Amino acid sequence: MFTYREKDNLIYKLHPLTMVTFIAVVFVLSLLLSNPVYLLGLLAAVGIVIAAADVLEKWKVYLKYSLFLIVLIMIINALVVQLGQTVLYKTAPLPLTGEITITLEALAFGAGMGIRLLIIISVFCLYTYAVHPDKVLKMFSKGGNKSVLVIILSTRLFPLLMKDYARITEVQRCRGVKLDTGGWWNRIRNYLPVISVLLLSSLERALKLAESMYARGYGSGNRSYYTRELWRPRDYIILAAIMICFIIAIISALKGWSDYSYYPRLSKVGSGAVVVTGIMTLNLAVPAILNWGWKKWPLLRSKI
Amino acid sequence: MAFIKVKDLSYYYPDTSKPALDKIDLEVPAGQFVLIVGASGSGKSSLVRAIAGVIPDFYGGVYGGNVYLNNQDIRNMSRRAVAKTAGLLFQDPESQLVMSNVEQEIVFGMENLGLPNSLMKRRLMEVTNALGLSDHLQSFIPELSGGQKQKVALASILAMQPEILLLDEPTSQLDPVAAEEILSIIKRLNEENGITVIMAEQRLERCFHLADRVLVMDEGQIVYDHHAPEAITYWALNNNCAFIPPLARLFAGVEYPEIPTTVKQGRRILKSFSSISESNLKSLPSAGKKLVEIKEDQDQPVLEVKNLWFTFANGQEALKNIDLRLRSGDFTVIMGANGAGKTTLIKHISGLLKPGRGTVKVLGRDTKKLSVEELAPRVGYLAQDPNDYLFLPTVREELAFTLQNLHLPDNGIIQEMLSRLKLDCYQNVNPRDLSTGERQRVALASILVTRPPILLLDEPTRGLDYQLKKELGDMLLELQAQGTTIVVITHDVEFAAEYASAILLMSQGSIIEYGSKYDMLSGSTFYSPQINKLFHNIVNGVVTLEQGKEALNRLLKLNETRAVSV
Repeated sequence: MFTYREKDNLIYKLHPLTMVTFIAVVFVLSLLLSNPVYLLGLLAAVGIVIAAADVLEKWKVYLKYSLFLIVLIMIINALVVQLGQTVLYKTAPLPLTGEITITLEALAFGAGMGIRLLIIISVFCLYTYAVHPDKVLKMFSKGGNKSVLVIILSTRLFPLLMKDYARITEVQRCRGVKLDTGGWWNRIRNYLPVISVLLLSSLERALKLAESMYARGYGSGNRSYYTRELWRPRDYIILAAIMICFIIAIISALKGWSDYSYYPRLSKVGSGAVVVTGIMTLNLAVPAILNWGWKKWPLLRSKI
Repeated sequence: MAFIKVKDLSYYYPDTSKPALDKIDLEVPAGQFVLIVGASGSGKSSLVRAIAGVIPDFYGGVYGGNVYLNNQDIRNMSRRAVAKTAGLLFQDPESQLVMSNVEQEIVFGMENLGLPNSLMKRRLMEVTNALGLSDHLQSFIPELSGGQKQKVALASILAMQPEILLLDEPTSQLDPVAAEEILSIIKRLNEENGITVIMAEQRLERCFHLADRVLVMDEGQIVYDHHAPEAITYWALNNNCAFIPPLARLFAGVEYPEIPTTVKQGRRILKSFSSISESNLKSLPSAGKKLVEIKEDQDQPVLEVKNLWFTFANGQEALKNIDLRLRSGDFTVIMGANGAGKTTLIKHISGLLKPGRGTVKVLGRDTKKLSVEELAPRVGYLAQDPNDYLFLPTVREELAFTLQNLHLPDNGIIQEMLSRLKLDCYQNVNPRDLSTGERQRVALASILVTRPPILLLDEPTRGLDYQLKKELGDMLLELQAQGTTIVVITHDVEFAAEYASAILLMSQGSIIEYGSKYDMLSGSTFYSPQINKLFHNIVNGVVTLEQGKEALNRLLKLNETRAVSV
């Protein structure tokens, strides 16, 4: 379904490239950095921006499902990986696997991976709800990339398809097709008419759509690219902050500050790492800070 | 000098042996507004597509003859040049919009032409201002109404600045208000911007007067070509063509020398009769008597709706305190604006929705206790789009499918329905290969095989030409005579006036008024047929064409006697 809804806050009034840069940088850093403190900092930054974009409600749904996934990752990791010295639990010798130990380090490693996953899911959530899909796609389609058009078309057709599906279901039920009684096999079989109609009608529509595109000269030569996105000071400020954060992260990675070893024992977290993380998070939270100022001071609105 | 020139054009769609276009010769000077009329399948759409170059480039098939735009053979023009010269707007707005955002959709055509960004911005601004779309630039297309979608599609074509605007039944899927808006935009483009317009259309009562010239097509040929409405109307009457608007049909029926194309012209003619004085303009004696009596009787109602309230999950109150009793053989038309609750009410009768408060009883049984499938043999429901029904390889199987679902025997009913709906010859044809009108008949037949005592139809006249509408109306009257209770939702006032017995007006979830069509459809500014508007305050209570003829004859006679006595 088309999930993007424009809301009245600064996050929606940025150049799409600014948002895409933010999302890309957070995504890359979440893979580059392994220190859980750094990862927590990234997560916090994304969370703050999501809150600023006013999509917390949607994020909560994502969080609910990913927490379940994280617990799963932790359990599996603890059961499979037998490294680590702080043994929390030891099973009796089992026939196939032998003795299984559950260590604090393995659990912590699972949790670290979980945070990484959470960051990735969160930026995905931000992308889904706060970035206009067509605008981003079009940015990458200068010169008329066909696969981009296919994606745009499917975002257009999906809601249509859902509507068709609901309507056809009703029509066929009125013809006596039983869709909610009988065993599962019967139900699947009874859905056949609905699916067949949906397929046939979609094919007919696709042909008409293609004709309309053809009549409007699609594929008649090089396409041009329409844009009216404007760059504003807010975009430069945010991009600069993101760049600073990115450079700090690269330096940390090269210097080894952001390394972290879970095995054989959890290594210590130095106060340096916390300070660096703090600076990075603050930089990444600039969109949210600007949004706060944008809402509070009308004068700032006109300046940025 | 002809701007569009079609010479000896013939065309066969792939794998067909009957020509869709048969030796067409046509010249259209720049700036003309040409209306193409004709029954479904007469070749109107094909001709429009051939001028746009979509035939044969997109469709393939066998093609002979030439089409010249601006003295250039279309076959020698680049596709981009053709797209710049001729823009083509299709019937269904849903299946011609590509983007999900209005702004992106409007620039789509211009991007295809490779126009520079600055020019696109300017044309976008111009076209959205002209069509009143400026406030919708960032709207999400699936959330727009049908009329707005069609306007967006038109804007996307106009932004390419074509010299010729080709339209293939652009209003057939729209409600009357939206249709009127699209037509007036097209008229304005023709008059103020000099764009050449070629439009295939079925709703002639709305566009007969707009055109400079009317082409009549039949079997792939142009059989008549004239600019005067009188000549076309008489020609059509003599050749038994059904496409004449009711007003013209009325005046032609009494062989009046002048044929009006608008209500205004018609009233001017009537007012010119010297006899029209206060004394004899009251009403037609027969009109009052034809009233359908909605009286309380002992009969068990077929459908009984009591204090029905319904609220959707999102909090929208769709039905408010609906009371309705329908008896066997009632033919009721439900009218009202979009979102008035018409479809929601119908869905309660078919059991697709269950009452929030109140009761709906079908043949004495509460729908709350019955599933949709249990109600199916009692309540037939024909949805707007017949395609939603059709998926089996043959027409016959499509009919048998319903019986089989409901475990009903085929005691000759399939054959009976096939012959009654004139589908005999198509029984082994794939329903998807049939025309719109035929598809609708198949869908209707697939419902009627259960012999439902109640028949519900949602916008059944959408996209039908006059002939098909008449066939549908006659069929419904036949069913009504056999005792079927018929409920039709439609925006089509002319159809309601000719065939319904009672009209139910709904607004914002409530029934505003319910009564005989003779009361409901007369004397209203918008919910009246053309015939009624014509006789308004001259002869009251005239609703159907038959009454109109009677009234007009009486007026003419009175006029003659007056003239003689003076």
